[in-house]
Amino acid sequence: MTTSRILPLVAATLLATSAGAALAAGELQIYNWGNYTSPELIEKFEKTYDVKVTITDYDSNDTALAKVRQGGHGFDIAMPSHNYLPIWIAEGLVLETDPGSMENFGNVAPEWRDPEFDPGRRFSVPWAWGTVGVVVDTDDYKGDINTWKVVFDPPEELKGRINIVPEMNDVIYAAIKYHGGKNCDGDLEVLKKVRDTLVAAKPHWVAMEYNTIDKMVAGDFAATTDWNGSALRQRLQKPSINYGYPVEGFAYWSDNVVVLKDAKNVENARLFQNFVMDPENAAMISAFNRYANGISGSEAYMPDDMKDAPEVVVPEAFRGNAEFSRTCPPEVQDLYTRIWTDLQK
Amino acid sequence: MAERFDVRRQRGFSLVAALCFALLYLPIAVLVVFAFNAGPSVARWEGVSLVWFEKAMANEAVVEAALRSLTIASFAAVCATVLATLAALATTRVARPYRGLALKYTLINQPLVVPEIVTAVALLIVFARVKVWTGYSGLGYLLLAHTAFCIPFAYLPIRARLESMDLTLERAAADLYATPWRTFVHVTLPLLRPAILAGATLAFVISLDDVVITEFVKSGGQDTLPTWMLGQIRRSTSPEMNAISTGFLAISVVVVVVFFLSSRKRA
Repeated sequence: MTTSRILPLVAATLLATSAGAALAAGELQIYNWGNYTSPELIEKFEKTYDVKVTITDYDSNDTALAKVRQGGHGFDIAMPSHNYLPIWIAEGLVLETDPGSMENFGNVAPEWRDPEFDPGRRFSVPWAWGTVGVVVDTDDYKGDINTWKVVFDPPEELKGRINIVPEMNDVIYAAIKYHGGKNCDGDLEVLKKVRDTLVAAKPHWVAMEYNTIDKMVAGDFAATTDWNGSALRQRLQKPSINYGYPVEGFAYWSDNVVVLKDAKNVENARLFQNFVMDPENAAMISAFNRYANGISGSEAYMPDDMKDAPEVVVPEAFRGNAEFSRTCPPEVQDLYTRIWTDLQK
Repeated sequence: MAERFDVRRQRGFSLVAALCFALLYLPIAVLVVFAFNAGPSVARWEGVSLVWFEKAMANEAVVEAALRSLTIASFAAVCATVLATLAALATTRVARPYRGLALKYTLINQPLVVPEIVTAVALLIVFARVKVWTGYSGLGYLLLAHTAFCIPFAYLPIRARLESMDLTLERAAADLYATPWRTFVHVTLPLLRPAILAGATLAFVISLDDVVITEFVKSGGQDTLPTWMLGQIRRSTSPEMNAISTGFLAISVVVVVVFFLSSRKRA
């Protein structure tokens, strides 16, 4: 490499990054999960408010929390998951923007107005939410799929073709529900059953991995635990793949838009919080990341394949079985880790 | 008389070698093949097509991240190589090894020993302070960090070369009244050139590959190709990711091949 070849390259990159910023009146720095932010949504926001938006990716709640905690990050907005949000609030990392008083707050669906992770919505605005359930190829198994039994005590047809997405808290939560237990109460009686069930079921599993879409569609897996958005993508590629909401109980998760306490562009960040509560805009988020958004009236703008999708719209009959997953107290979390370690042996 | 010992004739040697090569290259081969898939799957083959390459090239985020990666890698490779050359000269052009020389080696090679995540967290903490104090959040932090961890990779081949060159030629130049600077420019540097190129190539590729430190140090809008890819794959994988990986791989291979050819010509 000689300098004569590098300099034009450096100059080109610097120009490319500074040219855009010079045109818009304001700026907004968004720190979000990768592959999660609709480009159309951002384009519309930039045009409406004459703001240049920069998106930076993170790959886990832990990375995001670590960077924001240290300060100096330069971000205005982040999207922590519900089980992490209380930590962000407790540590004073987010700004109390009082979304409840914003113009578009009236659009937030009733069940998302006062969630336990941010009572009264003092800090956060819904971005996306979903569920964790089971996905089954009904060509392979004709029985009832709305139960954790499918993966924990599988029928003959599914044995040896089951995948488990290796999210410790989700898997243990499922097994606790399967035994009628309560999450986070650390009931040793139940946890013993949980461990025995998981260890006994493991020989029937073929894998514990994240890459479910391709392998379900290809038929390498006949059933898996999974997130609903992933289930939707699978069914669109192969109609016999269906999503089950276990009657024993299943969990909601959600990611939420917060403004950071050390944000430099607070006004634009507030505008963005209000902006994503508009039904048409919320529908753009969903169309891109394939999850529901918690904004009433967004259905009208959703892509056709999502409007009535059973993966996105939780059927009335199952709604009573859902609750929020949360992060348990450390001593309970330790027990979960021990079960998880036993399972990996 | 027994046959001469030849490692290639040992029982099982070919099998072990084949297994190693398969493990190294099969996954990459599969990844590259599916970059050319016509369908949206990375597991089912639906015919040959270049659509995923077109899609990746049209994706602004990919192009921007790739340019940023190349800029950082070029800068880091040049700076790290200059510093590593100076360090290598200082630690080898001595008449006799002295106490503390080994300690210097260890200090220079620190990034090879310290786990990357430790360096990343340490840099995160320090740079966060600096960002708050100075208000500057530009590319400088990534350039500094990359230069720092690339130094040992540039240093090792240069030092190895210097150790195999004794001081005879430089002494001869000095005997003929060459100044130390002329000796360096006309004697030492030309002899060192292949090693310097090797060091720079290695540093360039190491910087290009880095994920962990970059993920922690980057400020807003500073995703490099690897950190951008990391953010993408957790949610879903499409052959676009294979196409990007293939392009990324091609850059690395081209850099190494160009180095190889240029060093062969001179040798």
